[in-house]
Amino acid sequence: MEGERPRSENPAMTFDEVSMERSKSFVKALQELKNLRPQLYSAAEYCEKSYLHSEQKQMVLDNLKDYAVRALVNAVDHLGTVAYKLTDLLDQQTLEVTTTGVKISCINQQLLTCQTYIEKEGLRQQQLLAIIPRHHKHYVLPNSVSKKVHFSPHVQADTRQNHFQARSRLQPSASPASKTLSWHLSSETKPTIKGSISTLESSEESKSSGGSSAAFQLLDKDDSTVSKPSGTAYASSGIQPSSGGMQSFGVPRKEAVDGSKHLGGFRSFDNPRRDIVRTPVPFRSKSVLSAFFVKQKASRLSAGSVS
Amino acid sequence: MARAGGISNAVNVGIAVQADWENREFISHISLNIRRLFDFLLQFEATTKTKLASLNEKLDTLERRLELLEVQVGTATANPSLFNT
Repeated sequence: MEGERPRSENPAMTFDEVSMERSKSFVKALQELKNLRPQLYSAAEYCEKSYLHSEQKQMVLDNLKDYAVRALVNAVDHLGTVAYKLTDLLDQQTLEVTTTGVKISCINQQLLTCQTYIEKEGLRQQQLLAIIPRHHKHYVLPNSVSKKVHFSPHVQADTRQNHFQARSRLQPSASPASKTLSWHLSSETKPTIKGSISTLESSEESKSSGGSSAAFQLLDKDDSTVSKPSGTAYASSGIQPSSGGMQSFGVPRKEAVDGSKHLGGFRSFDNPRRDIVRTPVPFRSKSVLSAFFVKQKASRLSAGSVS
Repeated sequence: MARAGGISNAVNVGIAVQADWENREFISHISLNIRRLFDFLLQFEATTKTKLASLNEKLDTLERRLELLEVQVGTATANPSLFNT
């Protein structure tokens, strides 16, 4: 075919030049097909005039038949060329579109990879920053005033831990031992949260008050037990006593009694090898302090009556 | 003489009829081929329309995907801090 000649003659042509050649040949073939129409019309008029004015009509008729056959063959040839070139052009364009689609898919895949990487990096950074506190349950049973009762299975018999262990107190006659069981929560996270209190100083203060059994006591029906907080160790961060009303007692009481004292360190009961962490006492409002003083006096009076 | 003339007339008529039939046959052949050419043109038109429609649809799809990629790349270039580790 004519379309294949330029490719064989110029093998070093680029893809764009080949596509241009194909387009040009198609346009040329289409132009030639369009030019066939006036040629056929002129030939038909000539044959009609010659058949009317000529004497040898049979010869004109024979020539007309031959010309009709050749014209038909020529028209079919031109139509075939145009159809072939148009089909070839469409296939070329379809191939280019498919190739472009593949390239766009590659770019899309690269972009999705970048997005996935960004999301993973973001999650990784967020996970590193997040600090999830872990809490452990810890039972503290009250006992005599001088004894240190500690029922936590994780507690070790270390002297350094004595500062942080809860000291048992005499139970008031109205409150049995079972009612004074308290949940003691210790956290393993670093002491970043303010408001931590040491156990040693608070336990000593509760000793002087005479009658407190644990730092956080369950809210019983008897309100007197609620007003007898004692110093027990609890973690600096994430401390959530079971008695909601007692949450503020430890800190203001500590500040009220010995605001200038430096808070002792504390450690988790599960990991006694950890270093002692000291945290400052937060400032509390006067109203809380005044309320605490009133309750402390009431506890002293009740302790004096028991003894 | 009259019989010879009559026979010649019959022969001429026969020849003329035969020539007429040949001409008709030739015309029928030509017309048949032209109709076949016309059918080919119709079929070629339908095929070319289908190919062009599919090509147009592919191009529309590519245009939309390119627009989406353009927006995504624009968003990414607008926030270069995302790529800083």
